[in-house]
This record gives sequence, C-alpha cells and structure tokens, in this order.
Amino acid sequence: MRLVVHNMLQCHVKGCDSNNFPLRLFDVELEIHEIEFNPQFLQSLLPKLDWNAFISTANQIGITSLPQALPEEIDEDFLKNLHRILFETHIMQGKMVCSNCSHEYPIKEGIPNMLLNEEEAEEEAEVEAEVETEAEED
Amino acid sequence: MSITPIKAFTEHDTTSLTDDKKEQKYVHDVYQAIAPHFSQTRYKPWPVVEQFLNSLDIGSIGADIGCGNGKYLGINKNIYMVGSDRSSKLIEISVSRGHEGIICDALNLPFRSECFDFVISIAVIHHFTTFERRLAAIKELFRIARPGSYILIYVWALEQSNEARRKFDKEQQDVFVPWVIPADKNNQDKKEIIYNRYYHLFKKGELDELIESTGIAQIVKTDYDKDNWYVIARKEGSENEIDKKCCDC
Repeated sequence: MRLVVHNMLQCHVKGCDSNNFPLRLFDVELEIHEIEFNPQFLQSLLPKLDWNAFISTANQIGITSLPQALPEEIDEDFLKNLHRILFETHIMQGKMVCSNCSHEYPIKEGIPNMLLNEEEAEEEAEVEAEVETEAEED
Repeated sequence: MSITPIKAFTEHDTTSLTDDKKEQKYVHDVYQAIAPHFSQTRYKPWPVVEQFLNSLDIGSIGADIGCGNGKYLGINKNIYMVGSDRSSKLIEISVSRGHEGIICDALNLPFRSECFDFVISIAVIHHFTTFERRLAAIKELFRIARPGSYILIYVWALEQSNEARRKFDKEQQDVFVPWVIPADKNNQDKKEIIYNRYYHLFKKGELDELIESTGIAQIVKTDYDKDNWYVIARKEGSENEIDKKCCDC
C-alpha cells in the first residue's frame, strides 16, 4: 500500500463517523519500489490530497522531509521527493488504527484488509461444489 | 463444448441463509476457491471500459470496486487507480502485478466520501442478492465519488445476444451460473469441479432505475455491450464544490 492510498482510507465501523481519518500507522515495514517520475501527473494530483493528513502520517513512519504546509512554489526537487514518498514507498506490513474507535486494520504483504470481520478473509472456506466426471468443460 | 446448465437460484435450499450468508457462500467463497483459474480467463479489457479510463484527465484518482485480478488498473498510466475486492485471493493476484489493492466489502467501502475523480464497478453489482443490497452498493459508489465525477457500472444482462454462450430463462432473474474447473488430464485425482455462483441478471432499464432512485446522479449514457447493461452516470454537483471541500478539510 502506498501513502497516496492511505490518504483516501477512513475507518468505516458502524457509527464511527468523526475523527476516523487519517488512520494511524503502527509497526510498519517499508519497501521502496521505483517507478517512472511523472511531474505533470503529480502536479495535477496534488490538490486532491489531504495535505495535513499526509504530513502527519509521513511523520508517524519517520518521514520528515516534507513541509508542514504545501509550498506555493512547486519545484522539481519537491516533486521528486513527493514522488518517492507517495508513489515509491510501500507499506508492506503493519496496522492502521482508528483514532476514534481504536479499530485495527492489518496490512500484510502490502495489502490492507479493511473487512470488519478480519477472520472472514483469512479462513479457507468450505465451498459448496459438485465434483462430476461426466460433464464437459464450460 | 457443451455448457453446464444454468439453475434457478430457488432450486437450491437457500431459505435458511441470511442475504449476507448467501453471498458469502455463493459469491465470496466461490471466488476465493476459483481465483487462479478465474484470473487466467480475465485478461482482455472491454473496449468501453478502456475508452472510459483513457478519457480521464491526467492526475485523476479513481477506484475500481470489485477489481478482481486488476485487469483495468494499469490501462491508463496518467491516472492513479486503487482496486478493491472482497476476495483476498484475487487482490493478491492484482497486487502481485504491481497494482494497488485493498480487501473490503462493496457495501461498506473504507474510503473517504467524495475523494475520487471517477469510480468504476465492472460485473459486480449483479452478485448482490436483493434490490436493497444492490441499491446500497450503488449508493456507496456514488458516496466516494466527488461531485461532477463520472461513474461506470456494468452488470450482466438477462437479455443475451445471439452470439452469447449462455441463454437465460426470461422469467428467471436470480440464477446460479456454474464455474467449471476442468479435470486435470495428468492427475486422476483432480476431477472436474463445478462451483455455483449467484447472479442477479438485470432486465433492460433495471440498472438505470436503480441509479435514478439514488437521486444523486444523472445518467449520461446507457447501453448494452458484451451481454451486459452498462451506465455512465455523473454525480450531481459542480466541480467548484471540490475546492470548497478541500478548504474545509
């Protein structure tokens, strides 16, 4: 999970509808996966971020190279740094915790599990299936 | 090749199950079980979806709700997409291809309201077993889309074209569509397996009515494609409202 996606996520436990964003990150393991730098794309995307949430989240995971407020003059160095943090930094393991209701959402192998009943996705379900020998392939 | 027959949903004893348990058993559990085989057969993007994604502005952020193996997530390199699916197995496949994936339920999306520039949901809403649940899922798609943005929804049609592999009984909208994993010719122990997947087949105009009944979107385009009904809807509100929203938060 990249930080750009974290910026879109909120707690969605029933009735938890204030102070439910951003989710706080804990016990994270990061990996850098490089991708092509596209300054025009980044610039267009910038106004869509919740900057305050992004900064506080970056700080939580030890990234402190960003300004507290979005600078008025955007230069290439700033965009390159942003590219690295938003799009190349992956949260591979860890958990997200809601500041309001304390619900925890695990992140495993880079995938956040946002199902409210986490076990559901973990179980190997017994699936109803018919095993037949006569029928042909669909 | 013959086709395994479609069965009416009512032929199975599902009355003891609640709606969410029906979907658990006849949709979620099935996709978990068939994910690798399903994914092998899902690689070709549908042109209408491709065209929709390629028409978006550079820097757009969007969501694909029920993204499966993520076949639409990398179409346009100038936009950013996050895929979500109820099946962890399908999300694992999507993420292994370098896409962004989240495991979640389409009835209760974990995204902020109005944070996306567009939303797509391709062949997903037909897996909900009641009108209320289909409507609730569509409302969630509109909730996360910003005012003035476009939402593309595809559902399977009851009315199938002459070329279609499957023909449906016109009276039967709630059906099991079998998914067949063929026997392994090299391994006698691996016999053919048939999974029953639940579908609600949409009649002409039914998707449009659902979208209109939300009261928050206008239908821009409605058509029939690939044996599916699809609608492009625009969420009400103007672009300027976004700037206001951003300043507020």
